[in-house]
Amino acid sequence: MTKERVGSIIFLVFGIYGLVLSLQLPMGSWSEPGAGPFPLMVSILLCLSGVKMFFSEQGTVAIDWRTICKQQQTPFQIVVLTAVFIAALDRLGYLLTSTLYLFTLLFWVSRYKVWISVVIAVSIGIGSWYVFAKLLATPLPEGWLKF
Amino acid sequence: MDVINSLYHGFATAITIQNLYLAFLGCLWGTVVGVLPGIGPVAGITLLIPATYGMDATGAIIMMAGIYYGAMYGGSTTSILMNIPGESASVITCLDGYQMTLKGRGGAALFIAAFGSWVGGTLSVCGLMLMAPLLAGFAMKFGPPEMFSIYLVAFILLSSLGTDFFKTMPMVLLGLLLATIGMDPLTGVLRFTHGAKHLYDGLGFVPIAMGAFGMGEILSSTQESTVGREVHKVKIREMLPTRAEMRASLGPITRGSGIGFFVGLLPGSAHIVSSFLSYLVEKRLADRPEEFGHGRIEGVAGPETANNAAAGSAMIPFLSLGIPTGPPAAVMMIALLIHGIRPGPLFITEQPDVFWGLVASMYIGNVILLILNLPLVGLFINLLRVPFRILFPIVLLICLVGTYTVNLDTFELIVLLCAGILGYIFRSCGLEIAALVLAIILGPGAEIAFRQSLMRSGGSFAIFFQSPIAMTLIAVSGSLLAWNMYRSFSKKPASG
Repeated sequence: MTKERVGSIIFLVFGIYGLVLSLQLPMGSWSEPGAGPFPLMVSILLCLSGVKMFFSEQGTVAIDWRTICKQQQTPFQIVVLTAVFIAALDRLGYLLTSTLYLFTLLFWVSRYKVWISVVIAVSIGIGSWYVFAKLLATPLPEGWLKF
Repeated sequence: MDVINSLYHGFATAITIQNLYLAFLGCLWGTVVGVLPGIGPVAGITLLIPATYGMDATGAIIMMAGIYYGAMYGGSTTSILMNIPGESASVITCLDGYQMTLKGRGGAALFIAAFGSWVGGTLSVCGLMLMAPLLAGFAMKFGPPEMFSIYLVAFILLSSLGTDFFKTMPMVLLGLLLATIGMDPLTGVLRFTHGAKHLYDGLGFVPIAMGAFGMGEILSSTQESTVGREVHKVKIREMLPTRAEMRASLGPITRGSGIGFFVGLLPGSAHIVSSFLSYLVEKRLADRPEEFGHGRIEGVAGPETANNAAAGSAMIPFLSLGIPTGPPAAVMMIALLIHGIRPGPLFITEQPDVFWGLVASMYIGNVILLILNLPLVGLFINLLRVPFRILFPIVLLICLVGTYTVNLDTFELIVLLCAGILGYIFRSCGLEIAALVLAIILGPGAEIAFRQSLMRSGGSFAIFFQSPIAMTLIAVSGSLLAWNMYRSFSKKPASG
């Protein structure tokens, strides 16, 4: 498996998805094209491109999965924490969620000491809340705790 | 005379306390973004989109343009003093700029880089103010067939962004497919929404841009080494170049202005391509090319001039045709759309205050940057002492809250997260994410133009060949496609 093939598989997945769903859309006529023809054409071209890329021999470097997996720890942590942030935002409110998010990123991902992470997280959390909620008058979620 | 009068009114618009402040803020933030590795001009512009909500459109685009060309200035500082390119267009400046620093001529390199950037940026703005109205006037004659033909040329050029045409073309196609999500603009039919009301208006440009360029870049940057490097200090009095260095720089600055201006008109990462091209030209023309890479002033003057010239001319197709040719222009387009302004052939005539205000502010901004970058170089260098491990959580939070403020909807954050993950995966696979995002922005216009053309012609594709403009552009597309196919198929397969 090479990087190009991973990319081509992604393209094929999207292409097939688009192809199947486009066929269910109204096609209209040539003089009045409906909603279906454009995504259908694009999906077909995407599938063909994906196939071409899958079988391409140029610039292929085999993936070392062990190395790749080892390198994904930090990105994985960030993605998980961001997902938790999104899920908690409406429930806990922006101020608490952003502070906890920053603290966890600084402590768990960036590996700073607890007190450094707390100081930075609290100051940036409150600072960003002030900028967006007060200065820019953006209604940020308050959550159950109402702050 | 008309141009002079318009420019005069543009200066009247730009020289207000608020707009001068925004130009300064944009230039300052752009320089900071240019200095800091890991945050490019696109992420820098994207992060400030929420800050533009309370501004008028003129102020918003003045600030964003300032960030763009400010980043070009800022990137050279760390390239020269630390051998760290602050942003991609300054990679080539490391080759000779850092060598000059090691020889004790870092100050002169900084001066020439700033001076060349000012010349390139200013000349490019002159080109912008002369060419954009002409191009827009010409484009007023365009109907749907001509517009679709332009989009076709743009998509083929976008596909040439990456190292391999057939690796980048699927990114463009994927972007076009993602652009169809939501309600069909012509018939109102829902496409690919699966009943989710949040998707009725499509995916949204802001979460896509924030995710792909902001979060995706951070996820990729976390894997790079953040080992500290030596910072060479430069005193103000050491900044003046010698007469010989100034004489040697004049030719590269002149050529770099021209190269950057014309390359900037093309879709793609023009500021990066222009700096590489300028370096190659200067090396080819040099009396002793073997000295390049060992501290030749020409190796700094040409590329730094070219990348700033490209940043200015990239505005021409964006403002006059409504086609952003690179990620920074794409993000600026998003900001203008949020303000209800659509760049294109009618933009200059309907929004003259915005256009001429922007042109005037670019003249002013180039002067501001010349003043900022030389005396404050020490301050900007100290920014590099802030570890990336502290910066990236703050940048992520700004991406998230900035995206949330668009529609006050957490669904947009889910789109941001998905775009960030996809952006990271695509970057890891060596695929050009900018092509995807640009195609998402251009896709709806292309589809509408295509379908309107067929409606006009009663279903006949001959309409694309009946107009001389459309036929010419389709011929250009065909030639570009054939050329790229030939280049791709004639490449030798990699061994091993």
